[in-house]
Amino acid sequence: MRYYVQRVALAILLLLAVSMLTFGALNVLGDPLFNILGPVAGDVNNPESVEMINAAKREFNLDRSLPVRYGLWVSDFVQGDFGVTFSSTGQPPVSGVISERLPRTITLVLMAQFFAIFVSIPWALITASRAGKVSDRISTINAFFLVAMPNFAIAVILKFVFSIKLGWMPLTYTADDPLRSRIFQMVLPALTIGLPVAAVYQRLLRTDLITTLQQDFILLARTKGLSKWRILFVHALRPSLFSFITVVGLNTGALIGGSIVSETVFRIPGIGSTLVESVLRNDFPVVLAIVMIVASSFVIINLLVDFAYTLIDPRVRR
Amino acid sequence: MSTQPISSAEINSDGTIVKKKLGIGFWLCVTWLGLMALIALFTPLLPLKSPTQNFLDPANGRPPYSPSWKHWFGSDKDARDVFARTLHGARISLTVGFAAITAGFLVGGTVGVISGYYKGWIDRISSFVFIVLLSFPSLVLAILLTSLIERSLLTISLVLGLLSIAPVGRLARAATLQFADREFVLAARQIGATNRRIIIKEILPNVAIPMSSLALLGMAVAVVAEGGLSFLGLSVEKGITWGGLIQLGSESSKTLEEAPWIAFFPILMLFLTVLSLNFAGDRVRNYFDVKETTL
Amino acid sequence: MNPPDVVRSEAEPLVETVEIKTHFKTPRGIARAVDGVSIQIRRGQSLGVVGESGSGKTVLSRSIMGLLPRNGVIREGSVRYQGQEIGNRSSKEMRAIWGREMAMIFQDPMTSLNPVMKVGKQITESLRLHLGMSASEAMTIAEKLFRDVRIPEPTRRLNQYPHELSGGMRQRVMIAIALACGPNMLFADEPTTALDVTVQAQILELISEQKRDRNMSLLLVTHNLGVVAGYTDEIAVMYGGKIVEKAPTKTLFADTKMPYTEALLRSIPRLDQPSHSRLATIPGRPPDIVHPPKGCRFAPRCAYVRELCLNEEPELQQASTPDHTYRCFYPVGSPEYLERKVELTRKGEFVSTGDMS
Repeated sequence: MRYYVQRVALAILLLLAVSMLTFGALNVLGDPLFNILGPVAGDVNNPESVEMINAAKREFNLDRSLPVRYGLWVSDFVQGDFGVTFSSTGQPPVSGVISERLPRTITLVLMAQFFAIFVSIPWALITASRAGKVSDRISTINAFFLVAMPNFAIAVILKFVFSIKLGWMPLTYTADDPLRSRIFQMVLPALTIGLPVAAVYQRLLRTDLITTLQQDFILLARTKGLSKWRILFVHALRPSLFSFITVVGLNTGALIGGSIVSETVFRIPGIGSTLVESVLRNDFPVVLAIVMIVASSFVIINLLVDFAYTLIDPRVRR
Repeated sequence: MSTQPISSAEINSDGTIVKKKLGIGFWLCVTWLGLMALIALFTPLLPLKSPTQNFLDPANGRPPYSPSWKHWFGSDKDARDVFARTLHGARISLTVGFAAITAGFLVGGTVGVISGYYKGWIDRISSFVFIVLLSFPSLVLAILLTSLIERSLLTISLVLGLLSIAPVGRLARAATLQFADREFVLAARQIGATNRRIIIKEILPNVAIPMSSLALLGMAVAVVAEGGLSFLGLSVEKGITWGGLIQLGSESSKTLEEAPWIAFFPILMLFLTVLSLNFAGDRVRNYFDVKETTL
Repeated sequence: MNPPDVVRSEAEPLVETVEIKTHFKTPRGIARAVDGVSIQIRRGQSLGVVGESGSGKTVLSRSIMGLLPRNGVIREGSVRYQGQEIGNRSSKEMRAIWGREMAMIFQDPMTSLNPVMKVGKQITESLRLHLGMSASEAMTIAEKLFRDVRIPEPTRRLNQYPHELSGGMRQRVMIAIALACGPNMLFADEPTTALDVTVQAQILELISEQKRDRNMSLLLVTHNLGVVAGYTDEIAVMYGGKIVEKAPTKTLFADTKMPYTEALLRSIPRLDQPSHSRLATIPGRPPDIVHPPKGCRFAPRCAYVRELCLNEEPELQQASTPDHTYRCFYPVGSPEYLERKVELTRKGEFVSTGDMS
């Protein structure tokens, strides 16, 4: 029990640190006033402008000190109020923007993760059982190549081959399409980020499987007359999954990062592409909110991975 | 940055273990990297066409022109020579990658070794900082930071360097911890060597071994990261970068369909470079038989 | 369980090997782990295979069962089970035999049991695979097996993991797994080495009892002569990949021929020795199986060595009874042996430990 509490406390501490850093960076290195008002912000001689400046300062709390602003922001944030976007006309609430776009990114990341897991496990099982043989060597080379390709390059290549040349996959994502076609439209984007990650998973799992296969209990399983596949799947797989699970959890962060690129190339309006847009527009509340959401998911997922460990390995369970 | 270790278990099909050597693949990669480095350094001096000039050729119709003897990699929509632009792209992309990993190593390595050696509160603080830095997916942090600053070669390199501090520092710390308690260090201390001397003479040479493979792999990650940033438009302002070229070549589906060479040649160069760095880094790790130490 | 049996002639061996060799390819060269071994085990009979580490005894049992790595192994000779040649069968073909006809138990039950699988499941797996039982039938049988091997509270234990059991209990589980489908032949590879002394005797008793009840054959591999003394019909002593002496147990102890066997016997501590007597050890180290010495493999360490021993390798010869064979030029009791023994006793190097039988 104590272990769980400690980890949760650490996670909260971490999130506070992350939020402070981000908030500080945005407000110190950036210029919120400029982003809200434009050039008017510097125009201190014109009484009208000054009026606008003061109004903006009051509204966005810019006349208070940094720690106070941070405190206000935190209390708003945990209640789900992410403020309003800076520069769109009409200033829609950030939370609205996020709630509309977040599900798409979540879907994308989940699809990529499922794909990566369900491809890498059989792939690892096959190559582990044929370690050293030709098919294993070829697979190694393939995996290497895959890892060397950056996300955006894969996205471009996939788009070129499957959408343009072969015409199998749709070119763009249309938010209004029915669910099934939207999922289909997400296949290439999910593959883009899922493929390199699958290669990483496979390498790791293969190594762990090879190690496990050299253990005595595998020999005993052989003496029981079990078939090769049963031994691999039922006996060798589970004890080899520990590092795999950790890596899957940790890579969710990488997948979220990758979704930024994927969403941009395939024009999916999720929080990844929104982040880029907002950054280019200097729209701080949105950037802040998205960064916090991403960091929070990262921290929470790592926490869950830790806890999941205890479920998989009965020896760790207390 | 998810620098995941690539397996070093090498088993022949008759069950014997492959002897460790760097191998011909390693040297091929080194050759390619050397070539890229030379290109990056000497591009302005090479007899290339200008990367910004428009080589309109009415006789050939409207650009983009496909690859030919005049334009080895073809030309883009504005009739600029892709070959020249790609080689110029190497300058920024590689320089940033190299500078970033150097900065990261200097800072991260130092912090890591000191934390691992002295332990105590220095270690606790730096470990916490590492964990915080690692709580962001690296691209998100990179985007965040580059959006706030003036984007020059130096600043982008520093930002990417900052991102590499955590993984480098962690490895340096772990490696140092391994060695700090070994007998030869205790022996050195017994004969009165100062801490500084011990770190430099005993610890550093041993830590340098796992770090060297990380340097190559880290540079690969930095190059990819810079590529990602420039693809999104967040890298060096007004610079020609591989990521930027790829983005220009794939921005519209029409361009991609009609003139795939605009995007694909930079992709090829980027891919070969990153592959060489990854492969070389992996071979080095194999050679020294380093396992990525976990905390 | 053993079906009421096809009447088999007691004379025909259940398992037989004829000059089998198992050599491994290693970076240093070819390791001759088993270098020409011929044994026969009849139905219901138990053979003890004794030797130091590196003598090839473990590889022998694995070779008979066919449990060798796929690559880097050279095999020669013939292995027959129930009269049929099995030495050249592939793993796939052997799977019909493994678990069903032949079973093996290993030295270390902690590493030999799957750490993340409940022990009950590790037994029912065999039952369901080989005997086609349903899950509940298999569980019932598993429970019965646990009772047979004397695991207390069997129902509760079936649902536990290996790390929740003591060493002795884990070994009992391993025995239960081996016995599950009623094999005809059990290989026990150092089954008690990893256990406490008090538990060792219990486990040996258990194995022995099960063997009797099921009319199973047993090949018991160990480095400890004391272990085989009470539990085997016949003993084969291995050295350097070859059998150097083989005899019915009583005969081996009463009429030892090979000096190596004698040395092994002497190194067993005995209760009736005066306290603080030095334990007799065999000086030197086991032979290099990649580059074995010319001549008798034990010669470099033998107290009775003569020139012939260093140059020529002795063949297996019969002693006074046909079921007793040994491999030595100057065996115990021969004139040359006695001559040397006198010299050694005079020098004080021969520790007399009294009657051996």
